[in-house]
Amino acid sequence: MIRLLLRRLLVVPPVLLAASVLVFVLPRTTGVDPARALLRARTADAVPDPATEARVRAELGLDDGVVEQYLRWVGTVLRGDLGLGYVSRTPVAEQVGDAAAVSGLLALLALAVAAAAGIPAGVYAARRPGGLLDRFLGGATVAGVAVPEFVLAPWLVLVFAVGLGALPAVGWGGPEHLVLPVLTLAAYPGALAAQLVRVETAGALARPHARAARARGLGEQAVLWRHGARLATTSVTALSGMLVAGLLGGSVVVEVVFGIPGLGRTLHQAVTAQDLPVIQAGTLLVVTVAVLAGVLVEVLAVSLDPVQRTAEGVR
Amino acid sequence: MRAGRRAAGAAPRTAVTPPAVAGTVRIGTAAAIVVVALVLLIGPLLLPEPDRADFADLLAGPSSSHPLGTDQLGRDVLARLVHGGRLTIGLSLFAVLATGVAGVAVGMLAAATGGPGRLLMRLVDVLAAIPVVLFGLVAAVALGPGTASLLVAVTAIAWTPFARQTFLLVRAERGRDYVTAAVALGAGPVRVLVHHVGRNLVPPLAAHACVRFASTLLTVSGLSFLGLGIQPPTAEWGAMVAEGREYLFTAPHVVLVPSVAVVLTAGTALSWGRRWDRTGPW
Repeated sequence: MIRLLLRRLLVVPPVLLAASVLVFVLPRTTGVDPARALLRARTADAVPDPATEARVRAELGLDDGVVEQYLRWVGTVLRGDLGLGYVSRTPVAEQVGDAAAVSGLLALLALAVAAAAGIPAGVYAARRPGGLLDRFLGGATVAGVAVPEFVLAPWLVLVFAVGLGALPAVGWGGPEHLVLPVLTLAAYPGALAAQLVRVETAGALARPHARAARARGLGEQAVLWRHGARLATTSVTALSGMLVAGLLGGSVVVEVVFGIPGLGRTLHQAVTAQDLPVIQAGTLLVVTVAVLAGVLVEVLAVSLDPVQRTAEGVR
Repeated sequence: MRAGRRAAGAAPRTAVTPPAVAGTVRIGTAAAIVVVALVLLIGPLLLPEPDRADFADLLAGPSSSHPLGTDQLGRDVLARLVHGGRLTIGLSLFAVLATGVAGVAVGMLAAATGGPGRLLMRLVDVLAAIPVVLFGLVAAVALGPGTASLLVAVTAIAWTPFARQTFLLVRAERGRDYVTAAVALGAGPVRVLVHHVGRNLVPPLAAHACVRFASTLLTVSGLSFLGLGIQPPTAEWGAMVAEGREYLFTAPHVVLVPSVAVVLTAGTALSWGRRWDRTGPW
């Protein structure tokens, strides 16, 4: 298990290295001079004073060689220092960390809601493939995938915030601000989980071990869950690993629409303001989480599945 | 996911819908796709200019001169819907074709070569975990938000699902008897891969392409909604939703029309894909 984890982790450093080069090169591809961008963000001056510009250049170390700049940048990043945001002039690490905590909470809640709704839906749909419930849920999951967040969010606001007045339309703070964003975010993962669980459970129930369990007189629920749904554990674990990074850095639409100070909105604002240090930090964080989550979840899936465990030679 | 394929293959395929009804539904869907394609192709010739503003007629409901009403600048919503659809659907189709060709090639290459191929797939797995929206943000910074950054966002890593799917499919097919037979008859690895295995990949890959089309369409319109893709005043479905959102309460049709278009297009692609691959989910 540990050896498998270490072996899988081998792929992480090259990817992070590639990502760090990409993120480092990014500001240079924009054709925007970092010193000038910084000055413009701070002073809103179209033509900055050349002396000031030179001083900022020296301060940022922009006159050194590219390789030297890259190595110095990696060094500071590894120490957790991501520089100051152009707009806020506060440490980017704090700014991005706070935002990631907000997005992380949203992501975990959305995954929990998706699992709580999607897994039972998939299991009960698999009970009678082709039955009424199965067909209804089949349609519902297509809708869950096909309705994008930018469509779902405004209509949820229209119904629950404007129409019923039950929940706030935008904002962040109390638990009441969580309901609509979490529901919006949970639709897609929930639909995917339901589809996956349904296929796996139906497949498991059609296999001899399920029939044997029924023949031994086991109750319907026990057969359904213990001998059917249990076989979906591996794929659901793998799915959640793929979704975590997407929810952490990818819930831009939901955070923008509901005005949530998460990572997605922070990055969106940074793109609009050309706040490069924030974009760099956020990108690095999301890529790191994505890569690590992918590896961890794969190892977890292998260790949960006896068949894969044997194939991988892990005990 | 690997276990999923196997388990699904073992499940009995009960007829979900009676064949006659299913056939009618399929013909209906096909007809709807043809009609939509025709409207998107020749519609612009018959409809008013999508950018022509009519300030005497703002946020009006459906009328004979504007069948789907007008938006906040008095522009014809139907004309913008059709022009936007050309852009949204066209870009998504292009991205799916390009990533499909690249991904299938990578997947086949990885499946054909042993150790290096497996390593390549590890890398693909890692890349597939990175959210596409992040690439949209980064590309918008690097290239400036627009069509180019949008295309980069929906192609840069979007080929990875295709590569993964192809790799798993080829690996599953390789142990089958017909492959052994072909090899015994003297077929070379390339011929086996392309001629024998390849044609068995068509239905599941076509189904996968439908799913990818739906998700690309949602990404294209989602990024444009955020102002990171197609820029106003150019009509694009996501951008239309974003522009009309302020008038959600006074003139809901401005948001409703492009929203329904996005959902129906994505939903049609998804159900079309489901019919294609009977072993897939539902």
